[in-house]
Amino acid sequence: MTAVAPLVLVVDDEPSVRKSLTRVLASAGYPVEAFASAREFLAREPHPGPCCLVLDVRMPGLTGIQLQELLAATGRRMSIVFVSGHADIRTSVKAMKAGAVDLLTKPVDAQDLIAAIQRAVTRDEHDRAAEARRAEVRRCVGRLTPRETEVFALVVTGLMNKQVGAALGIGEKTVKVHRARVMEKMRAGSVAELVRLADEAGVTVPQT
Amino acid sequence: MLATRLRFETLLSALSVGLNHVSAPDTGVAIERALRQVVTFLGVDRGGLDEHAEGRPRLHVSWARPGLEEPPPVTATDQFPWVSGRLREGEVVRFSRLAELPEAAAIDRASFERVGAGSQVLIPLRTGGPILGVLSFASVRAGLAWPDDLVERLRLLSEAFAGVLDRRRMELSLAERLRFEQLLSSLATAFSHLSAADFDPAVQHGLRQVVDFLGVDRGGLIEFTRDGTAARSWAVEEWMEVGEFPWMTARLQRGEVINVSQLEELPDEAAVDRQSYLLHRVKPQVAVPLLVSGIVVGGLVFSTVGAERARSDALIQQLHLLGGVFANALARKQGELEAQRLRQDLTHIGRVSALGELTASLAHELSQPLTAILSNAQTVQRLVAADVVNVDLESVREILNDIVADDKRAAAVINGLRALIKKGEPEFIPLDLNVIVGEVTWLLRSDAITRHVSMSLELAPDLPRVHGDRVQLQQVVLNLVLNGFEAMGEPHAGARTLVIRSARDGAATLRVTVQDSGPGIAEKDLGRIFEPLYTTKTEGLGMGLAIVRTIIYAHGGAVGAENNPQGGASLHVTLPVAPEGAQ
Repeated sequence: MTAVAPLVLVVDDEPSVRKSLTRVLASAGYPVEAFASAREFLAREPHPGPCCLVLDVRMPGLTGIQLQELLAATGRRMSIVFVSGHADIRTSVKAMKAGAVDLLTKPVDAQDLIAAIQRAVTRDEHDRAAEARRAEVRRCVGRLTPRETEVFALVVTGLMNKQVGAALGIGEKTVKVHRARVMEKMRAGSVAELVRLADEAGVTVPQT
Repeated sequence: MLATRLRFETLLSALSVGLNHVSAPDTGVAIERALRQVVTFLGVDRGGLDEHAEGRPRLHVSWARPGLEEPPPVTATDQFPWVSGRLREGEVVRFSRLAELPEAAAIDRASFERVGAGSQVLIPLRTGGPILGVLSFASVRAGLAWPDDLVERLRLLSEAFAGVLDRRRMELSLAERLRFEQLLSSLATAFSHLSAADFDPAVQHGLRQVVDFLGVDRGGLIEFTRDGTAARSWAVEEWMEVGEFPWMTARLQRGEVINVSQLEELPDEAAVDRQSYLLHRVKPQVAVPLLVSGIVVGGLVFSTVGAERARSDALIQQLHLLGGVFANALARKQGELEAQRLRQDLTHIGRVSALGELTASLAHELSQPLTAILSNAQTVQRLVAADVVNVDLESVREILNDIVADDKRAAAVINGLRALIKKGEPEFIPLDLNVIVGEVTWLLRSDAITRHVSMSLELAPDLPRVHGDRVQLQQVVLNLVLNGFEAMGEPHAGARTLVIRSARDGAATLRVTVQDSGPGIAEKDLGRIFEPLYTTKTEGLGMGLAIVRTIIYAHGGAVGAENNPQGGASLHVTLPVAPEGAQ
């Protein structure tokens, strides 16, 4: 659990549902923001801290599912707990496949909702941490020189220094120097770790 | 002698001419004139003509010299049993003094003595068939002889009288037949436009007409149910309970005609029936079964209080014809009741199947207030559990108010549903059409959302009420709106808008229009979309709009459809404004 309580964003077109969900989540200690439509929610600045979205499946205008698709398409990753008055299997499968944490059927029990929100927040925190790591790796990769980047890309494919040198048309010793710099800049202790970082950063073998 | 003969021939031809062209209404006067001429010619005191007729008022004409009493009809069997027997055999009866009458004619003799007939001749009148009547001439003095040649001449004379009676009988029976035909057609007309509700008074009236026509005292109609048990009866002079006549009822159900004129004719097994006849002081009756396509649907029963009368075959024939008219009325009533029941079932089925389509949105509609109630209640639980001392009573109160409001909302959904499912007798009351439109569209809100339809209402304010059944009119709006939704179903590009409008349509009519933005209706289908089982959709029975039409017609309204200039179709119903007093 982070120091700041994660924010719960509720989107539901039904005023009484919006109000009551806000109340019950507030009573459980969550800061809550409620929105009457997907459009209203989209108008809000993305929340920088841990948060999750409690989303009604069926709404006039953009539906919950459409909002999920839209967020994914625009790269705004969010942990979503769907609530639905009448969830048909197709909608549920679609929502879950698209990464929803859970889909709860109305009337929603507060225990279940809070548990789902807890999981969503955990996932959000995890995702945020992973995202942060990826950003860090990408930052390290950004500090590599072009030659170092080439060496990095070939080393992580499992080539020996000699082979790397042959591939790049440079001496084995030179490869060794570049490789040490890469290890240092990427803060990797072993080749295995370097491979994992390359994976996270999405570094690919340059075309030769 | 020759002169007398000549005078008689002259009289005969004069009478024949005089009586020949008499029409039925003038018969009495003509006969009386003729009798006077004959009495004068014969030099006797009295002359009489008694018609012998079965089951009809009989003609009795007599002429007596001034100061003399007119005699009773000699056809009265109780006063002249022997004489009427002879006459029926075709014999002429004559006596110049009462003593000439035989011992067997003791009653007759006393009667003649009482009316003061000293000598008399009685000649049966006939024209080849059974006896038509009796011509008689009498003298108060005894001793007047009736020689054979006089009797022979009187026989010739009697033919002219017989001719009159024969013609009268034919004219009367023709007139009677005509009256009968008129009765039949008036009954048939009265029964042909009969609704089940008007059946009882119409049958009472019809029975009264038949009773009057037949000259009987009691008449009744029995209706049998399909399982063969007696169901109901209608009667003139409420005298008949089917249960009181088990023997007759059983025979009617077997399709037999009952024609019993004397209580004594009833067989032993009809003991209960006999008791009932005695109890009601009616004479046994004539009854004919009523058949529709070979099935006995009822019986027509007639009975008299007064004198017993033999029922001729002609009467039975007439009763069969009348029975046909009553049988049709019964069949039509049963058919109409059946149709009414079917219609109710159909609208019920229509409602239930429409509900099937609505289940999803109704579940949604219910889950909303239930969600709010649960969350609010659990919030209170948390507040109370977390800190018993510092509960914010104001917010608890607010939450409880919300719970109550949402619970009422859920109840309203359920009540709306219940009203739609309810199967029952229609109840016609003054209704606000706008309220009905509001109720139905409220139920359909989330259905509209699911179908991506933007639904809006344009209701005219201050509309007068209509007279109708709430559930049925809700059904009408429901079906029209669902039809509009379906018209804009997949595949449909473009906006999906549905406008429900209420407005005045003339002084005494209101109109509800449901306008969609679907593809519209092909010209050839415009006139047919309200017909049962007519559908242009791939799914659906084609019953929705047919039910609309059935209900609206039952409310005295009309239905219609047209395409909008901007695309899509508009379906409308019109309903008459409730009468002023019912507002």
